[in-house]
Amino acid sequence: MATETLRNNRVGPILRAGDVAKAAVQAIERDNPGKAIHIDDRTAYIRVECDDECLLTRASMELALGRPFEMREIEISLGSFSGNIDTSPECIRFYFNKHV
Amino acid sequence: MTSLKQDEYYDLIRGVNWTPKYVPEEEIFPEEMSGSRGIPMAQWEAFDEPYKVTYGDYVQTQREKDAGVYSVKAGLERANYVKTADPGWVSTLQAHYGALAVAEYAAATAEARMARFSKAPGNRVVATFGMLDEMRHGQLQLFFSHEHTRLSRQWDWAHKALYTNEWAAIAARHMFDDMMFTRDAISTAIMLTFAFETGFTNMQFLGLSADAAEAGDHTFSNLISSIQTDESRHAQQGGAILKVMVDNGKIDDAQHMIDVIFWRTWKLFSVLTGPIMDYYTPLEHRKQSFKEFMEEWIIGQFVRQLDDLGLKKPWYWDTFVADLDQAHHAIHVGVWFYRPTVWWNPAAGASPEERAWLEQKYPGWNTTFGRTWDVITDNIVRGRLNMTLPETLPLLCNMSNVPIVGTPGDKWNTKDYPLVYEGRLYHFGSPIDRWCFEQEPERYKGHMNFIDRVLAGLVQPPDMAGALAYMGLAPGEMGEDAHDYAWAAAYQRKAAE
Ligand SMILES: [Fe+2]
Ligand SMILES: [Fe+2]
Repeated sequence: MATETLRNNRVGPILRAGDVAKAAVQAIERDNPGKAIHIDDRTAYIRVECDDECLLTRASMELALGRPFEMREIEISLGSFSGNIDTSPECIRFYFNKHV
Repeated sequence: MTSLKQDEYYDLIRGVNWTPKYVPEEEIFPEEMSGSRGIPMAQWEAFDEPYKVTYGDYVQTQREKDAGVYSVKAGLERANYVKTADPGWVSTLQAHYGALAVAEYAAATAEARMARFSKAPGNRVVATFGMLDEMRHGQLQLFFSHEHTRLSRQWDWAHKALYTNEWAAIAARHMFDDMMFTRDAISTAIMLTFAFETGFTNMQFLGLSADAAEAGDHTFSNLISSIQTDESRHAQQGGAILKVMVDNGKIDDAQHMIDVIFWRTWKLFSVLTGPIMDYYTPLEHRKQSFKEFMEEWIIGQFVRQLDDLGLKKPWYWDTFVADLDQAHHAIHVGVWFYRPTVWWNPAAGASPEERAWLEQKYPGWNTTFGRTWDVITDNIVRGRLNMTLPETLPLLCNMSNVPIVGTPGDKWNTKDYPLVYEGRLYHFGSPIDRWCFEQEPERYKGHMNFIDRVLAGLVQPPDMAGALAYMGLAPGEMGEDAHDYAWAAAYQRKAAE
């Protein structure tokens, strides 16, 4: 079991439950077309992941929330994330360098 | 007025290196504090943290985070959750706060060391935020626990524990001092921010927040998950330092530090997080088992990340994986049995329903750890409580400072791994604890665990009463069974039939 768990390519945000988390699920679906989005809801936090790379844009967050959104605001909800991260004012990218 | 976008000015404001004219570089950045390992300044300037924040954004975001956690606390204050909570959950909170709240200030010191002594200018900027983060964690957790001090003296230990010589406090302090107070800036970045914070803090601050939400403790759930949002940001210093090390041929050095601190952290979390997730948290509120949380956060997420960065699993991987079925169950029996020696009331977690859950999550539990609980339960049913309480002291490991344990039953495998160094005999709970010591005996050799202190005559009289006094545990503070043995009622009924 332990070793199987290791063999995965899932990357993405792990968000504290709330409106921003719900919006991020919609935004990630929009920002990663054609990709399977895996969602693990653990009540206090929710894992939103896809394989190898996961994008989350400010524009999609605004669309999902129906209000202006600064990318820095995601930090209030971003409890953790899987993979590596790259941040910019318009987009956050979660990714792995290697596919296993 | 037109304003620049963050990514247009970020590199400029972060570039805080200059060429010193009056003082040589090695005086500004002494090697024992900076730990630059011969990597030249220009290489450290390549440090590029991937999680970028400006000071203005930092202040605004942190203010909004605090507004969130304080408003949840205020909103739920009247509900007085802790007063009516299951005693097992109260013990969870007390163990958490005592082991961690004050340690946050140690983490602030560690961040301050990077902020002052790291040769990477970006590291110094981000570590300044990290230092402020850790002060926030210390303040929040001391403040949130303080209102409960009127409920029992055990709550005093939220602030007090790490200043005492209680054995678990010694264990936590030894590990935190090793990682936070006594390492150069670069080692701190690898061991604390990379290994500890991208790995294990997720277990205690997000994993446990899931159990807290299930238990209905939304104040605590919100508090610790908000803390982890800071951790996730400042933890990213570690990966960026790692990249500079890898690019400059120091990957083996980084791997070695990760191997040491991963094991040390595992041992501490097997005492702290294991029992609270699998035994203290009321059964109906357990979101996952401790092992499942470990598989989610440590194996699936952290170790997968190690692989992505070109590092390897720690060399003792198979032992670690096997230990996931053992360490915390064994330590839990010990902590419960030695309950007067801790500042919380351990919940046995051994009712028939709980045992069924344990057997399902850890196949084979009933024929190993279950047999120990059979004996304990039998003694309780027969009214022989004295036989469920300690008279002597256990053998402690000289690295983890926790009891040397193993799996009971037919698989009995408890073993001491001794080492004589400079004429002193040391005891270790595993070959890996001993290996950690052997990596840097000068660092570890002087330390005395609780038993060493008894043998050295520091604990007087050298019996259980003297031990409790030395640990600072008075009646009303020392632990008792969290549920006053109510969990054994079903067995009592069965015995009566
Ligand atoms: Fe912290
Ligand atoms: Fe931290």
